[in-house]
Amino acid sequence: MTVTPDCRILIVGAGLAGYHTARGLRAHGHTGPITVIGEENRPAYDRPALSKAYLTGAVCEEDLRLDDPENPLDVAWVSGRGVVGLSERPLGVRTDDGAFHEADAVVVTTGASACTLPPASAEEGSYVRPYVLRSMEDALALRDANLHGADVVVVGGGFLALETAATCVGRGAESVTVAAGEDYPGEKRLGRPVAEAIRIAHEARGVRFAPGARAEALRTAYVGDTMRHEVVLAGGATLGAHVVICAIGAQPRTDWLRESGIRLTHDTSAILCDDAGAASVPGVYAAGDCAQWASHSSGLRPVGHWQEAVEEAAVVSAALTGAAPVSLQEPYFWSDQFDLRIQGAGRIHSADHHEVLEGTPEEGNLLVRYLRDGEETGILGINRLRDVKCWRKRRQISAPASQTSAASGRIATLSR
Amino acid sequence: MAFKACSLNDLTPGEGLRIDSVSPPIAVFLTDEGTVHAIDDTCTHQDASLAAGWVEDCRVECPLHESTFSLISGEVDQPPAKRGVRVHEVELDGDDVLVELSEKAPQLPPGVTLS
Repeated sequence: MTVTPDCRILIVGAGLAGYHTARGLRAHGHTGPITVIGEENRPAYDRPALSKAYLTGAVCEEDLRLDDPENPLDVAWVSGRGVVGLSERPLGVRTDDGAFHEADAVVVTTGASACTLPPASAEEGSYVRPYVLRSMEDALALRDANLHGADVVVVGGGFLALETAATCVGRGAESVTVAAGEDYPGEKRLGRPVAEAIRIAHEARGVRFAPGARAEALRTAYVGDTMRHEVVLAGGATLGAHVVICAIGAQPRTDWLRESGIRLTHDTSAILCDDAGAASVPGVYAAGDCAQWASHSSGLRPVGHWQEAVEEAAVVSAALTGAAPVSLQEPYFWSDQFDLRIQGAGRIHSADHHEVLEGTPEEGNLLVRYLRDGEETGILGINRLRDVKCWRKRRQISAPASQTSAASGRIATLSR
Repeated sequence: MAFKACSLNDLTPGEGLRIDSVSPPIAVFLTDEGTVHAIDDTCTHQDASLAAGWVEDCRVECPLHESTFSLISGEVDQPPAKRGVRVHEVELDGDDVLVELSEKAPQLPPGVTLS
């Protein structure tokens, strides 16, 4: 659906996808009013640094703003308002102050909220919510926590968990233990060599890795005046900690759409969209972590990456304005952990084989390629910026719509 | 005062070379068209070496994200970077690449300070 250049567009969610949708609309010449509703009482910001430079104090809130104060977007920001419901006729959204925001098109970019561990049981001890890292408020809480001399357990084996573990070492924690749910963090997704490189780099700085059993629950007890947490692993082993940080994934923020006609995925409640971001209700689009596009549903693309949010926003803003259609590039992610800069591109998540092209895990300079049915589908480099960039650019030039040509239907649907 | 940053022989067409004998480091590029350019090496968004970026049409794309910088003016085209980089004057003396550093203040990314 293309809307007229002067119509009213409402963007629900002031994160990366929301900001880039608004920016794309203006770049494509949309002249009508654009309203962005954000739940937080702060200008739209970028999240990657929340587990790194923001957590160490190297950068501040102003540094992470998405909008350029010297050249701000022409957008009406409604901050500090949650959304409670979507109306199809008239099309619009109700906010928690009772206001109704009518629009000609609605783009939902409400993101996702962090998952946490449940209490071990109602009887045993009390339960204190662990730290998570999703919003700036979450990061601020952890930044204010005194980690000096503390035993820290980070639950999760993804990049967010590993980055956070690295940051906690820098913050002077007495011990940092990662409960990754596998012996080599990332082995299932990225293969053994990469997981080994990550483990070696972390262990060299004193990070410990808990046995590969999954963390299942959390309990808290007071020893005198000191609060002490226990992370309970599958099989019953426990890890003691002063500070527990959960980085075990996120859940799309779509509760407010349950009563609407918007179709959600059964397992994760993500908004089901086609590959232009259109949801099941006419005039409603979704992008970023709250959405599951057709390419995600068919397993062709991974979900939850920064890059996906930016690119989906570009696709939606082009679709709405009738600009030349934008195709999604090869999926891409990056992570900084100690002196490792890890970059992955392509369809690593669905590969059935990997090969080390250059480097070793010990040297922290791996270049690994990923294959499916004998065809190269992805690349991962550790401190290989030029190699990964070249791979991405060559793919962009040779196969601008790779995700459509690869739609063979043989790839299993991702369980998000 | 211009200084010898490198030799033409050190450069690969379509690539950049990081010169870290100066602070902040600079990147010298030899384009496929044969022109030589020098800009600040550090992306203004985040600490990443532009010398490792993708060079095309007299611009370099940051190796980490999609902001591209003009090798001629230093201006940036799109987020996540908001600010351009400094451009330094280049002169060739035989095979020597001589660079006259800009006197403007560098636009370093948040959290990065001059060493």
